[in-house]
Amino acid sequence: MGSLYSEHRTWLHGVPAGLKLLVLALIGTALFFTDRVAVLLPSTLLCGLMLASLGRATLGAAKLWVSLVIACLLVLGFHALMHQPMLGIVSALRLLSTAWMGVALTLTTRYTDLLDVFERWLSPLAHLGIRVDRVALQLALMLRFIDHFFGLWQRLDDAHRVRTGRPGGLRLLAPLTIQMLRSARRVADTLELRLGQ
Amino acid sequence: MNVNSSLRATPLIALFAALLAVLGLIPKIDLPLGVPITLQTLGVMLAGCMLGPKRGLQALLLFLFAVALGLPLLSGGRGGLGVFFAPSSGYLLGWPLGALVTGWLMALLPSRSPRSTSVSAFIASAVGGLWVVHVCGVVGLVVLAKLTWEQALLGTLTFVPGDLIKCGLCAMVVHTVARGMPDWRFGGRTI
Repeated sequence: MGSLYSEHRTWLHGVPAGLKLLVLALIGTALFFTDRVAVLLPSTLLCGLMLASLGRATLGAAKLWVSLVIACLLVLGFHALMHQPMLGIVSALRLLSTAWMGVALTLTTRYTDLLDVFERWLSPLAHLGIRVDRVALQLALMLRFIDHFFGLWQRLDDAHRVRTGRPGGLRLLAPLTIQMLRSARRVADTLELRLGQ
Repeated sequence: MNVNSSLRATPLIALFAALLAVLGLIPKIDLPLGVPITLQTLGVMLAGCMLGPKRGLQALLLFLFAVALGLPLLSGGRGGLGVFFAPSSGYLLGWPLGALVTGWLMALLPSRSPRSTSVSAFIASAVGGLWVVHVCGVVGLVVLAKLTWEQALLGTLTFVPGDLIKCGLCAMVVHTVARGMPDWRFGGRTI
């Protein structure tokens, strides 16, 4: 299971993950407090230029690009039909600028670096008894289970095809769930033996 | 004992987060009249019904956290922080709340037999996985896309038939699990 991180090195790759996340949070929040096109339009253009400056690194997020543009066109079209074109423009500009900043962050930051930042920011919650370190374990298990799901689904589908001559489709969801629940129980037993006291 | 029960819940939380990711990789199905359905909200319903409110909520939060980190786990291979600013982000943020309400109802409704468990699962999914998620989605459309309440409601109604089918699918899966694993405590019930 890969991420959307791009290996094509750009100027934004060198900026620390925490700083990128903080800028995104601050600017994203600020943009939601303004309705002025004179502010939103240059912001959106700057965000677009920033994303475009990443060059080939943006190729991996082409689907996301397209879906964001379509969503904004729909918002514009809908508001135009309702005779509220300015509202549509403001909404679309705001959405584009924050979404493009988010895409730029995702493409230029490894998820492990983001995870480190979140663990640091969330570490004060440890005083409230929240086990922040468990998040990394849960993420790793989640990724492992995704691979395991596909392997198991393939085996169940092969067995169904042998029996019936047809693909299993959604009929396999229930037996797949049962088998995965049993796997999770075995993992839980192992974790309890190794880490439980 | 509390530490160990939390540790034992860790793989279950990860499992249902993984299930959501897998369901997102299945291509959308087009119902008659071109209404698309994707299966990820089925994962929300199953997480609530199977894990209960607290662990179901945690599974959804873990999933959204992974999406925020840039993993392409949403349908269509989408991921990253940008998706949380899209007009549909109200639905995304409604998923954890949907799982919480589904799990809470599942814990309250009867589960003495596989049949009663599946009926309870249908009701819990319809309220939590359908109604709550759509309310959050409508709020998101009003706040982010600046639609009126009527426009947002009309837009969301298109997806209700597909989501009702998913409630039925959830009930069927719960029924099969109740028969195949009679010791499973639906809704996160404690004995």
